[in-house]
Amino acid sequence: MKNDDLISKLKTIVKPYIQDEIAFANLTEDTDFIKDLKINSANLVDVILDIEDEFDIEIDNDSMEKMLSVKAAIDIIEDKLANK
Amino acid sequence: MIGNDLIDLQLAKSQSSWQRKGFLEKQFTDTEIAEILSSENPFLQVWLFWSMKEAAYKCYTQEFQKRFFAPKKFVCTMISKNTGIVSVENQQYFSNSENSTFFIHTIAKKEDSKIYASELFLMDENANQTQFVQQQILSTFLQKVTIQKNEFGIPFLYQNEKKLALSISISHHGKFGAFVVL
Repeated sequence: MKNDDLISKLKTIVKPYIQDEIAFANLTEDTDFIKDLKINSANLVDVILDIEDEFDIEIDNDSMEKMLSVKAAIDIIEDKLANK
Repeated sequence: MIGNDLIDLQLAKSQSSWQRKGFLEKQFTDTEIAEILSSENPFLQVWLFWSMKEAAYKCYTQEFQKRFFAPKKFVCTMISKNTGIVSVENQQYFSNSENSTFFIHTIAKKEDSKIYASELFLMDENANQTQFVQQQILSTFLQKVTIQKNEFGIPFLYQNEKKLALSISISHHGKFGAFVVL
């Protein structure tokens, strides 16, 4: 899957939880889920569960620990897809 | 080190579904899940544990200056209805929660030190909440102080460009805002 496709799928996933529309409109790999998009930390687990459902992968605790930015999420998704 | 976390219970109800498949397993230990499920009000127990973990995480990040998302590593043990211990690695934090019909507010700290200031207030949901809470903190000081966040998002108080030796923690959710200063 190309990075652009991954980012666009991720955008759809995080959309219901974001609280900063401007940061969302300008989302890049460097966007931070909490600092930039202002996603409530309790909703970060929903983002992770949605990613698992969308890509049919399992995100283990060690991977989840790093899941704070778009870039980290892409790296983890790519890694899990490659090892599926 | 001090951390706080605030949950607007009405908003929590609509914002997250604790009964969603995988929701509990990702964030809570088996023992915590058993305690949640056998509790009189599982919804309240979920958010009490969550606020304890989040308040303790804020203490931890102040001390160790790093960010991560590992709620399951913060293990909660209740001492009484409103107090508990949160353990992570070899650290322990003591938590004290205030529960009402509308919110849960948890404060966690390590030492038995005295809290300098702690306030909880109602807020306009459409206002810039971070800014509002910051103004509330600043108004408790007689001298002019400012708040700056470091690269880990941890807030610090400054006076004349000098970092003060106080820990602060800020939280807001829905209709409520709160801060603590240690």
